[in-house]
Amino acid sequence: MSEVLTTPARVLVTKIGLDGHDRGSRIIAAYLRDAGMEVIYTSPWQKIEAVVTLAMQEDVDVIGISSLATDHLLVPKLMAALAEADLGHVRVVVGGIVPDEDEGDLLAAGVSEVFHPGAVRDDIVSSVEKFAAEATNARPQD
Amino acid sequence: MNKIDKTGSAAADWQQNYDKMIGQDRVIKNRSGIEVEPLYWPQDDASGTYAEKLGFPGADPMTRGIYPTMHRGRTWSQRQLIGLGRPADFNERIKSILKSGASALSIIPCNSVYRGIDCDEVEPEILGTCGTILNTVEDMDISLKDIPIDEISVGLNDPNPFLMLVQMLIVAENRGIPWTKITGTSNQSDYISHFVANHMFYRLSLPGARRVQMDTITYLAEHVPNWNALSIVGQHMQQAGATPAQAMGLTLSTAIQYAHDCQDRGMDPNKFLERFTFFFDISISFFEEVAKFRAGRRIWNTLVTERFGVTNPRAKRFKFHGQTSGLDLTRQQPLNNIARVTAQAMAGIFGGLQSMHTDGFDEVLSTPSEDSAKIAISTQNILKHEAHLCDVVDPLGGSYYVESLTDAMEEEILKVIGQIDDQGGMYKAVESGFVQEMIGASALEYQDQIDNGEQIIVGVNAYQEEEDASSRPVLKRPPQSHMQAQVERLKEVKAARDPAVLAKGLQDLREAAQSKDLNVFEAELNAVRAGATQGEVIAVLREVLGFGQPLVVA
Amino acid sequence: MNDTPQKSSLADRLLAGQTTALARAITVIEGEGPAVSRLLKAIQPHLGRAVVVGFTGPPGAGKSTLVNAFIAEMRGRGKTVAVAAVDPSSPISGGAVLGDRIRMAEHTMDKGVYIRSLASRGHLGGLSASAARVADLMDAAGFDVVVLETVGAGQSEVEMAEMADVRIVISAPGLGDDVQAIKAGILEIADILVVNKSDLPLARRTTRQLEAMLALRVPTDWKVPVLSTNAVDRTGLPELADAIERKAALREDKGARDGLSGRTRRLLAQTVAKYIEDRILRGQGTASEAIVTALQQADIDLQTATIEILNLLQESIANE
Repeated sequence: MSEVLTTPARVLVTKIGLDGHDRGSRIIAAYLRDAGMEVIYTSPWQKIEAVVTLAMQEDVDVIGISSLATDHLLVPKLMAALAEADLGHVRVVVGGIVPDEDEGDLLAAGVSEVFHPGAVRDDIVSSVEKFAAEATNARPQD
Repeated sequence: MNKIDKTGSAAADWQQNYDKMIGQDRVIKNRSGIEVEPLYWPQDDASGTYAEKLGFPGADPMTRGIYPTMHRGRTWSQRQLIGLGRPADFNERIKSILKSGASALSIIPCNSVYRGIDCDEVEPEILGTCGTILNTVEDMDISLKDIPIDEISVGLNDPNPFLMLVQMLIVAENRGIPWTKITGTSNQSDYISHFVANHMFYRLSLPGARRVQMDTITYLAEHVPNWNALSIVGQHMQQAGATPAQAMGLTLSTAIQYAHDCQDRGMDPNKFLERFTFFFDISISFFEEVAKFRAGRRIWNTLVTERFGVTNPRAKRFKFHGQTSGLDLTRQQPLNNIARVTAQAMAGIFGGLQSMHTDGFDEVLSTPSEDSAKIAISTQNILKHEAHLCDVVDPLGGSYYVESLTDAMEEEILKVIGQIDDQGGMYKAVESGFVQEMIGASALEYQDQIDNGEQIIVGVNAYQEEEDASSRPVLKRPPQSHMQAQVERLKEVKAARDPAVLAKGLQDLREAAQSKDLNVFEAELNAVRAGATQGEVIAVLREVLGFGQPLVVA
Repeated sequence: MNDTPQKSSLADRLLAGQTTALARAITVIEGEGPAVSRLLKAIQPHLGRAVVVGFTGPPGAGKSTLVNAFIAEMRGRGKTVAVAAVDPSSPISGGAVLGDRIRMAEHTMDKGVYIRSLASRGHLGGLSASAARVADLMDAAGFDVVVLETVGAGQSEVEMAEMADVRIVISAPGLGDDVQAIKAGILEIADILVVNKSDLPLARRTTRQLEAMLALRVPTDWKVPVLSTNAVDRTGLPELADAIERKAALREDKGARDGLSGRTRRLLAQTVAKYIEDRILRGQGTASEAIVTALQQADIDLQTATIEILNLLQESIANE
């Protein structure tokens, strides 16, 4: 019994802040599932501490934040909270409406990629796969 | 002078109604000198199809429009959504929009208000960026300073339990304006659509929202008779991914549900249906949208007669507000969106709407800038005055394509209504997740079409260009100091209240919600008069009626 | 062997009650390899404390909402709860959308509650192949109650039966033909039947139908109750928790850990079956091919073929 099984990547798809539109995040969840990933899907308006707890309990590789309005402004706080909880290996991507001038701030805070409206399915999936692999390698050794 | 051949008594009836309603009609000639009549119809109707399926505007089956005159008599209300940061800034914006031609208001509150919390409970960086902070009566009063609310129709994007309306009624009270003069619509009163398709507006559990909605409709029918308590929102379904036919079918099913709920409360359909209004998405699928609206109007007409025995012609009118769909707009080459909005607006006009909001071209980038909001209004005015789209009632009527498509859409829409009937009605269909699955499947299918390139989106999956990011408009956010000041002011207002009076107001509200026969909306009014903020009222109602969890079908 | 201290430190941290360690350990145990057996070995002495409760039922019965209410009830009784919520993986892509915990969101920040979403990962039973191991980890981590939640599809009731100490089958009125929705086999397995959504008009009828069906069951020392619950307003939850505690107490009295040995047994049976299946399907050279051909041509019967294959495998394992 020497087969190496590739375990599916685990991705948390969630929303923080005030916005409640979740059509986009539902579509992303379907994309990732169809690409063989396991998606833990939540309802919107999650508090940052809840996202951290979810990421820890579910031992996820990637967190996908769907953001409209100005909720992306809270993402740097999330990055800090993840680092503090020893979850720095988890990769974070943000999708939705993010003004160009804010994208730089998000990347500087440690976000791996920002997806804008019109982003193509294959690009999103391959990016998430890449980041999941990075997360696995960056995980602290048990 | 109107020169119209009279064929049959239906035409004569229409002519009579038209003349009565139009008042002083103009002679309209186009650039080539040809006189343009108000309406065109076939000279003969041997098969009876015209009479059965189309009829004349303002008469059964209403396919061609709910009034004999439609936009030739009175064009639609230009009801642009506005909301910005501080109430004082918002007041400025309202005045500017009214000056540039909008004839009605549509107020959007901050996302924190949609969440049902006050500004002192929110991370400051996300405050006031999408709408106005309306936590207290004072906020509403400042927002509406010098605005004649006894003359202007106000659309409130005010979800259940309707605190913005409460605040506005108290402002009217304080200004000595009788509530009979208050006109407008509760634009987000459709709690079912929120539960299923737009969680932005979700605040109370499904059964809790039902209770408050019915109490509110009852109270308003008696005390604010010219207010449209109910706007049934097809926009949410379509924006969540329902096809146009599904969105119309689901919306009509929701209306049927609410009508039954009203009937169960002993209300008379001939009366309450007059106050039912609708709110639809207008996508860029041009002819499909025109046919959707015409079919919807026809179906509603038949439906209220058959299911509710309506005889009052005013209660058969399918009044609706249309909003151009932001989902069709792109981030790439944003100026293209002006062309998109134009096409969407035209579809709405030919579909026969009563009120319209057109999106700004930068919709997908951020909250619309002042300039893009002005262009959005100008678009409507250009279509009206320069393209002369309002000179003829239902100008696409009689087109082989449009009539055939209207029939086909009607069939699809009725299918959906049938499916919901089978589920036991919209409330049950939404509780079980049936509707959510239907919408989710359509959403994915459409997304696949875009991903595959089957549906071309200019600038996105075809005709792409390298773009200069610096040429995109920049999001203006309210200065942090403004938001900080707003939070400070709220604290001051809260501190200045009489705690005993406030406590009694909230306790009475709690008891009203717990009882079966006290009116919750009335109790809300009293609680707010006693100084309660919107967050405080909603907290009490959530406690008693339940917050629940919107059913999310992944 | 020099990484053993590190692996046991994961186990140590888990046994000390660190939920981060539990989360990591579950990921490890869903995989294969020496790390898994080391982990399992380390936790062996610490098993048997938790009461494992299985919840199953058809879609629409309100399982997740009921589990959510159950967690609240047990927390009110001072117990800690761990939940493994299993959803099916897509047979086409192998991926899954796991949304059960949405309905349990009120417990996210409670340190006395741990929730993990699991995908069935191709396992056809409705649970996952590693569900038994996951339950063991949660047991070892010190949780008083371990909940296994699964969709009632395929053989999941049977699987769940072997893994859980207390087996709950949920139904709700109005799910089509109520009683048909509850397959006969379930009545043999359920310890407690729950009729959820008790506020609906047909709830009493469903309860009566179930009671009638139970009357046909062979009596044991445990009388299966049919309980009514309303997961939304929490009616019936105290009675459900009481019934669970009564049933759990029975197993302690008997001195046997049904659930625990059942889990191990099932795990072994599964693993052996998969091992054999892999080998037969992949083909092992002329000898096994000959058996396949002989069977196909009806030169030998199935019984004989089975014995011959097993002998063959025994030899090949000995040679590995």
